[in-house]
Amino acid sequence: MEWFLEPFALGFQQRALLGGLIAGVMASVVGVWLVLRGMSFFGDAFVHGVLPGIAAAVVFDFSPYLGAAVAAVVMVAGIEYVHRTTTLKEDTGIGLLFVGMLALGVVIISKTDSYTGSLTSILFGDALGVTRRDLVSQGVIAVLVIIGSLLLYRPLLVLSFSPQKAQALGMRPKLVHALLLVLIAAAVIGSFRSVGTMLLFGLLVGPPATAALISRTVPRMIVYSIAIASVSVWVGLLLSYHLGTAGSATMALVPIVAFFAVLTTTRFRGELRRRAVRGTPSHDGLSLAAVLDPLREGRP
Amino acid sequence: MSAPLVRAEDLVIAYGSHIAVDTSSFSIPAGTVTAIIGPNGSGKSTLLHAIGGIQAISGGTLEVLGDTPANAWKRTTYVMQTVAVTPGTPITVREVVGMGRFPSTGWFRPFSREDRARVDRAMAQLEIADLAMRHLSELSGGQRQRVYVAQGIAQNHEAVLLDEPLTGLDITSARTIDRIIHTERTKGHSVILTTHDLDEARAADQAILMAGRVLAAGPPNEVLTRRNLETAYGLGSLHEPNTDFIDDPHAPKRE
Repeated sequence: MEWFLEPFALGFQQRALLGGLIAGVMASVVGVWLVLRGMSFFGDAFVHGVLPGIAAAVVFDFSPYLGAAVAAVVMVAGIEYVHRTTTLKEDTGIGLLFVGMLALGVVIISKTDSYTGSLTSILFGDALGVTRRDLVSQGVIAVLVIIGSLLLYRPLLVLSFSPQKAQALGMRPKLVHALLLVLIAAAVIGSFRSVGTMLLFGLLVGPPATAALISRTVPRMIVYSIAIASVSVWVGLLLSYHLGTAGSATMALVPIVAFFAVLTTTRFRGELRRRAVRGTPSHDGLSLAAVLDPLREGRP
Repeated sequence: MSAPLVRAEDLVIAYGSHIAVDTSSFSIPAGTVTAIIGPNGSGKSTLLHAIGGIQAISGGTLEVLGDTPANAWKRTTYVMQTVAVTPGTPITVREVVGMGRFPSTGWFRPFSREDRARVDRAMAQLEIADLAMRHLSELSGGQRQRVYVAQGIAQNHEAVLLDEPLTGLDITSARTIDRIIHTERTKGHSVILTTHDLDEARAADQAILMAGRVLAAGPPNEVLTRRNLETAYGLGSLHEPNTDFIDDPHAPKRE
């Protein structure tokens, strides 16, 4: 029992857990739509696209939330500009802005004395250095993101189904898409301090993708995703404490491992079910279908 | 006298610099079944999208039920041709059909008893009630098309717009959708459908022949003449004498 409780005995450890849990809930309610709409690459680019804004805030000493928000707007505007003014597909614009913004962030931060430390803390957060104030800001943003996601449930559901149908049903797909971007930006801005951009992307995509493998409805997918994200954060911190590894990076790894574990399990179960339908195994280990099929075809 | 279903004057529809439907003027009376026919890339779907308010027009005027398409969208229901739904998307058939009620409920209002009854009725009419909890990825193409039609008729409407509703369907699904089209007409609703099937177009009350613009519109026997068809499809493209499909519906599309 102590093995489970010891890592959360101290205040800063509890704050790390709470920060991770809030990030997990927030990322799940937004990430579900990211995964359903096939926007994971965009999400990855977007999460890292805020880097120059945060880096500029560190170098020039202004609010990193403001920096991240400005960078997010520049990122989306850049992608839209490439998409609208060229015949290139959208992922090219996303790729260009992804690399460009990430590189710009590193260039800006390389001007600081603690180049490596600052970059690591942005990418992987500082889970154990989360303050009470950080948690309050993160909590307020999380409440807003959850309310926004609930309000947008129907239009986001239709948009995930078909943008064309969303237009025909008067669901204002362009506005809803823009509001989804705002929610993603809010989730990133609210959580990068405690868990870092890398973990946040892991939480945006890992738990919803895992939940998609086992859910038959979107509300269930959201609930499962929140549960998977919460367990991932908890297990990640436990492992990081006992193995002495980086907290955020360990937390980022858990949902990805969970995805492949669930994928393998569901495929294995599916295969077993298919075999059961095809035929009951006979005593010598051959399935009934394997025996009957050649006979039906006139083969011995 | 009630307003025509569609009235177009010098209508132009373009995607950027590409003109999909060039200067066209025509009128479709309300309460009829109208078939839009033409080769691939002739602007059939584009015209249907404009009537449904999904595609903006670039020039001229287009009136639907006496109003602009942007205002008339709540009185028309659009059944799309194919929807690329990612396999495994956790949306059930019932949820997809229920989306048809969203123009009435808006973003927030919970479903009323009437909304749920409309969804049940639409699923029963399309004979998909037993598929209610299935996912789209678990259905055949014909079953999926029936789900989209059920979604369309679950919506409040005076006119149904269907994009190639019968192309490539199994006989059960084709018959069911054909029956719905006739039921809609009996109710006094208007139906507009796009098709590649000349027999389907000839069976309609009105036909619109497309070839980058509206070449002819009116009763099928006046529109689907040999001369008009040769102009639309190019001289010598018609096969004698029992041609049903005058274009390959499965060929890659330009529109």
